[in-house]
Amino acid sequence: MQEANQLETAAPTRDPAVRRATRISFSTRLRSVARVTLPPVVALALLVVAWEFWVREREVAEYLVPRPSAVFDSLRDDPGRYATASRESLTAALGGLIVASVGAFLLAVVMAHSRLLERALYPPALMVKVTPIVAVYPLFAIWFGFGVGPKIAIAALIAFFPMLVNGLIGLRAVDPAALDFMRALDASRWRVLWSLRMPSSLPYVFAALRISVPLSLIGAVVAEFLSGSSGVGQLILIANGDFDTPALFGAIVVLAALGVFLTGIVAYIERRVLFWHESMTDP
Amino acid sequence: MTSNPVADRAPTPSGVADRASAISIEGVAHEYAAETGTVRALSAVDLAVTAGEFVSLVGPSGCGKTTLLRAVAGLLEPAYGSIAVFGEPSRQARRARSLGLVTQEPGLLPWRSVEANVHLALELSDAGGTASDWLRRAGIDDYAALYPGELSGGMKQRVALARALAIEPRLLLMDEPFGALDELSREELRLELLSIWERERVSVLFVTHSIREALLLSDRVIVMSGSPGRILEDVPVLLPRPRTDALLADPAFVEAEQHIRSLLRAGA
Repeated sequence: MQEANQLETAAPTRDPAVRRATRISFSTRLRSVARVTLPPVVALALLVVAWEFWVREREVAEYLVPRPSAVFDSLRDDPGRYATASRESLTAALGGLIVASVGAFLLAVVMAHSRLLERALYPPALMVKVTPIVAVYPLFAIWFGFGVGPKIAIAALIAFFPMLVNGLIGLRAVDPAALDFMRALDASRWRVLWSLRMPSSLPYVFAALRISVPLSLIGAVVAEFLSGSSGVGQLILIANGDFDTPALFGAIVVLAALGVFLTGIVAYIERRVLFWHESMTDP
Repeated sequence: MTSNPVADRAPTPSGVADRASAISIEGVAHEYAAETGTVRALSAVDLAVTAGEFVSLVGPSGCGKTTLLRAVAGLLEPAYGSIAVFGEPSRQARRARSLGLVTQEPGLLPWRSVEANVHLALELSDAGGTASDWLRRAGIDDYAALYPGELSGGMKQRVALARALAIEPRLLLMDEPFGALDELSREELRLELLSIWERERVSVLFVTHSIREALLLSDRVIVMSGSPGRILEDVPVLLPRPRTDALLADPAFVEAEQHIRSLLRAGA
């Protein structure tokens, strides 16, 4: 017994006290963050500068390819307009994402517990997935009017399937030994779901979110194209109609920023929640 | 049926025959459905384990020893025969939380700390102890705050053992619990298990590949043969306790080891 403890503590990193003492300092962390973020920022900046020079040098027509500075001016001229549009698109995308994720995960829970229900419900879900969502928009407009309703519905529809599939796989991907242990203690289905299946599914849930976050944004913008009523999608329509290519680029830049923002939030939450998962181990 | 190879040099553990039954297996047979039809996994197995006894099952891979253990745990329903655990069906024993299970894979929850993993067992049972107390008894209280991903295989198995003991089981079912460990960890955990068993006096059904492990731990070694699995011989082990590795060179031990090995060779 005594020997055993000595043997185990011989490995220093396993001792919690040692681990606490070796916690990484702030400046080291800053440096490691810089190592990750600096190269792409520099690369992007160089690209923008090269682009500016190329357009000025070759005198490319602005309606074809505007200078980055012109795009920036367009963004600066009326930031309120872009901000409002962003908020509208973001609301639709996030609303759709939440509705889809919650709904799909609940359906996955039901399917994970019944092969019969899985067989019954999976093909219809697949059918919805392969139907071009653009075709459904007029119907949604009739059902939900022209406000944020149909936009959320379209975003939800496009983000639904990845969560359903991954949720189902994740809920089934439990460690058989852990399941045996819980069953030997006569744990209820609910207990197994709550304490084992749901946590086991989280890596799959986050993988689904990485896919469905950009999809929900696509869904929102597509709905805005079709309705022409609000959001960044509408800005693009208007800029296109006016041959205002700098504004068009501005809208695209805003959409890219929204995508990065949403993905960043998901990645941040993922790191917090999945600290125990092997995908999170530091290089 | 028992040719007793181990000389009667140690007294029989205090009147085993008088004690209550922990496991009673009668005429258990089992089949698995396979693509080519059904595969016989077990055939007409009878076995009785009395309370407080340490019984090992040894045999080649696929001899149905794991199937038998899972049937005792109530994790699978045998096709034929009956199993009683403390005089009741396995299902009742599970309900009463009298079964502690330790398998080759530790089956810890990676998102729970060591302490929280042991606490899960307490959440699932009515046992009154505290997680930290069980960690101390298993000699791993220094690791309470760590996560399974930060532990070695041997440490994980210690946690799994502490978790199984935390429900204060009357019967400990162990399926090659040290099978995936290195020799040193195996030895440590074997000694640990022995000291726990001598302290708590739970009944143990222990599945292993290792004849030595079985002999060092058990009151009886059940030797099984493969396809379909059946019991070849019930070998009582009357070596004195507490047992240490010094026994490995003991003539009685060597004789028992060779006897079991020849049984397995003949049965395979």
